[in-house]
Amino acid sequence: MSITTITFDEFLASAKEFVEKSEKLGDGWALKDNKTDNLKTYLRKDTFVQCEDGSMNHLLKVEYVIFYNLSYGVPSFSFNAWNSSGTLVTLDDIRKMSFIQINEKDFYSVITQQEHPIFQRPYFIMHPCHTETLLAAFKNKSMNIIVTFLGLITPLIRLNLPLEYGL
Amino acid sequence: MANDREVLREIWDGKLPICFQLAQEEIMEIQQPDAFYVMVPRLSYFPLVTDKMKRHFLRYISQENSDSEMWLDYNGQPLKWHYPIGFLYDLYCGNDPQLPWHLTVHFTKFPEDVLLHCTNKDVVEAHFMSTVKEADVLKHRGQVMSTMQKKDHNQLWLGLQNDKFDQFWAINRRLMESHGDSEGFKHIPIKLYSDDGTCSQRLVSPKNNDGSRKTLQQMIAELYPDKLDVQLRTHGIVIPTDTPLQWLSEHLSYPDNFLHMCVF
Repeated sequence: MSITTITFDEFLASAKEFVEKSEKLGDGWALKDNKTDNLKTYLRKDTFVQCEDGSMNHLLKVEYVIFYNLSYGVPSFSFNAWNSSGTLVTLDDIRKMSFIQINEKDFYSVITQQEHPIFQRPYFIMHPCHTETLLAAFKNKSMNIIVTFLGLITPLIRLNLPLEYGL
Repeated sequence: MANDREVLREIWDGKLPICFQLAQEEIMEIQQPDAFYVMVPRLSYFPLVTDKMKRHFLRYISQENSDSEMWLDYNGQPLKWHYPIGFLYDLYCGNDPQLPWHLTVHFTKFPEDVLLHCTNKDVVEAHFMSTVKEADVLKHRGQVMSTMQKKDHNQLWLGLQNDKFDQFWAINRRLMESHGDSEGFKHIPIKLYSDDGTCSQRLVSPKNNDGSRKTLQQMIAELYPDKLDVQLRTHGIVIPTDTPLQWLSEHLSYPDNFLHMCVF
C-alpha cells in the first residue's frame, strides 16, 4: 500500500472548504488561524458527549482539534475531554467510557497523551502513522480530504459526522 | 554520515550540575532535608536520572504523598520531562547561566494542564522512540526505522538509558546516513524555540535550490527574513552561521535525532 501525504496548502484549502460546509450544516467546526505562524492554523469543534462506564452515564465536555502534522504530511486528530466537575479526563477513563472504540491491545498505540505541537499543552493525539496508510486508500476518491479523514476515524471516535458532508 | 567522532563524543559527554531542593510546602518533618547535588547527562531525561534524588526526599514528605507523581520546576516554571535536560537548561538559562541549576521538587498539585504524566520509564521510552521515528520520517520517509529490527530499537533506547555511547551509535549511525541517492536527508528534523518557549517547526531541506549545502545562515534568512542578528543555541553553544545544516543534523542532534535549537 502506498503512503500518501498532503501539503499544508492542501490541508488549508480543504479545511476552509470543510468549515463552509460545516456552517451550512450547523455542525460547529471553526477554522482557527494563527497570525504569527500560519502552519499552526487548525480546525476546532467544542461539544458534549454522553458516555457509559458500566452502568454509569457521564457527560463529557469535549474539544476536538484537527491540525496539520508537518513531519508526517497528514492531518492529525487530537482532543481533550473534561468531566462534569471540570477535571481533565485520563486516557484510562476514556477507554473505560467507550469514548473510543478500539480494543485494549491497540488502544495505547493509536491514542496517546502528548504535548500538542500547536498548543504545547497535553492533548490526546491520534498517532499520525496510521493516517498515512488510511488516506492512501481513499485520497483519489475524495472530494474533501478533511471529510475523508474524519470518515476514516469516526468508527473509532465518538464524533458525529453528518452524511451531508459527502454530498 | 556522522563521521566526526570527537564532536559526537563531546556532545554525548555533556553534563549539567543540578541542585534539587524539596519545595517548602512538601516538607512534613521538622528537620530540613539537605539539597541533593548531582551531575546529569545533558542528553538524558529527568525521569531517568531522578530515582536516587526521589528516594532522598521521600523521607521528608507526608506518607500519603509518597506514591504521588513527582514533578520539577525552575523559578516557578514546570519542567517538561519529555524535553532533554540540556535543552531545558538552554531554554531557561541559555542567556543567563545559573550553575548549579537550582530546581524545586514537588509531590503534590501536579500541573495537569502543563505537564504530561510520566508514571514509569516505559512512558519515556515510548516518547523517545516515537520522536526518533518522526525524525526518520523527515529524513528518510521512515524507511530506516521501519527496516530496523526490534532489537535495534531496543539498543538505541538502552544505549541512551545506560549512557553508553558506542552501544547507541552502533545503531544511530544508520539513522544518520543520507536518503536514497542524494547527499543528505530529505528534510532536517529541527525544532526552534523562542524565548517564551513557543516551538516552531518548519520543513527545511539540507540543500539550496542550486544543490549546494545549505548553511545555518541561509536557513535563518529563509525562516526569519525580517529579523536581524538571529542566533541559534544548542547544547549550550551558539552555532556559527556558516555551519552546514546537514552536518549539524548529523552531529549536533539530540539522541531523539532532532536539532532542538533556541532562537535569540
